[in-house]
Amino acid sequence: MNIYGDYEETLNQVMADLLEKIQQMNQQAIDHHQPKLYEHLISRIKTPASMAEKCQRKGYPVNTTSALRKCKDSIGVRIVCNFIDDIDHCLTLLHKADWCSIVQEKDYITNAKPNGYRSYHVILDVTTPYRDITGQVPGHYFAEIQLRTIAMDSWASLEHEMKYKHNIQNAARIGKELKRCADQLASCDVQMQTIRQLINENN
Amino acid sequence: MRILLAEDEAQLSRVLTMAMTNAGYHVDHAENGQRAVDLAKANAYDIMIFDIMMPVKTGLEALKEIRATGDRTYVMMLTAMSEVDDKVTGLDAGADDYMTKPFSLKELLARLRSQERRNEGLDQDVLQFGDLTIDNNQQTLVSNNSISLTSKEARLLQYLILNANKQLSINELLNHTWDDDDETADTEDVWFTISYLRRKLQSVGSTVTITGDKTGPFTITK
Repeated sequence: MNIYGDYEETLNQVMADLLEKIQQMNQQAIDHHQPKLYEHLISRIKTPASMAEKCQRKGYPVNTTSALRKCKDSIGVRIVCNFIDDIDHCLTLLHKADWCSIVQEKDYITNAKPNGYRSYHVILDVTTPYRDITGQVPGHYFAEIQLRTIAMDSWASLEHEMKYKHNIQNAARIGKELKRCADQLASCDVQMQTIRQLINENN
Repeated sequence: MRILLAEDEAQLSRVLTMAMTNAGYHVDHAENGQRAVDLAKANAYDIMIFDIMMPVKTGLEALKEIRATGDRTYVMMLTAMSEVDDKVTGLDAGADDYMTKPFSLKELLARLRSQERRNEGLDQDVLQFGDLTIDNNQQTLVSNNSISLTSKEARLLQYLILNANKQLSINELLNHTWDDDDETADTEDVWFTISYLRRKLQSVGSTVTITGDKTGPFTITK
């Protein structure tokens, strides 16, 4: 039995429903002749092993309650957008949605991390038709949503790769180059956004 | 600063070299125009000082040849010819300044210092304005976050800041940010660059704003 206990199947269900809700939001935007909300979506359930490791690291008891309630990222969804403004649009819609509430927001776009990481993280409390660990129906499950542009996403993948290669020579120097690259990608995002805005103003 | 002195009179060369060396400059001496051309090709100088009447090649010939290679170093002509026409010929050949012999050593050193200040001022690496820092080495704009600037954005922003709170017309911005030889640049380029800068100011969380609509004038304020 892994750390998710009897809830592993439900977590998969909740994640599938969550993806469907986000896809519906996107379809509605398109139906209203607005630009699509995102370029693509990816999702994952945190592996039981890394969830157990996280509970240990945080000093929580290694059990299902910690995995589902104390840690709020057992379900993770990444929304990868074309433009910066699409991120704001997604956030507005998530705030308005009646099937979830936002319990925490971290804006690493306005306040990029010192290494250059940019992304917008929100924790959702999702209302579901399934029983939750407190026995309630409708039950509540947490999910972490990461919103970022394609440029921010490609930077994060490279940085991730580099973080796990321990044999990199001159890591500080590479870190500085990566930071500069993050600033350049942010510059491109702003330029693309501005171009789209100027096109719209002229029409 | 590294200075190239082209002067064929041995006595004058010695005095000038000594005075400039004492002032903390590194001086290379060329005894004729051809040697000056060769040294200018081989080394990077901050200032070049040329006599006009020199053997092998005159200072004017050397200057023209050096300018033809695309070298834009500040050049001062030092000469006995004091006729207005000679000054005009020298300046038109690409010289930046002119001193006629006999000249005061004090004045020459003061002119070198003035040029040195200007060089340093133009390459000012870091400019501060309100909650903004513009790092011209890194071409980055920093406030509570950082973002890269293109060379045009950096130049336009620097010009706006050096003239903060003034109303600058779109043509002034065009002329100061784009070179004369960039014939394709027009006021539309200014508008795009302003639009990028506005969004970048917002993205780094700065309170600095650039006001003005599409046709200008534009003003930057803290």
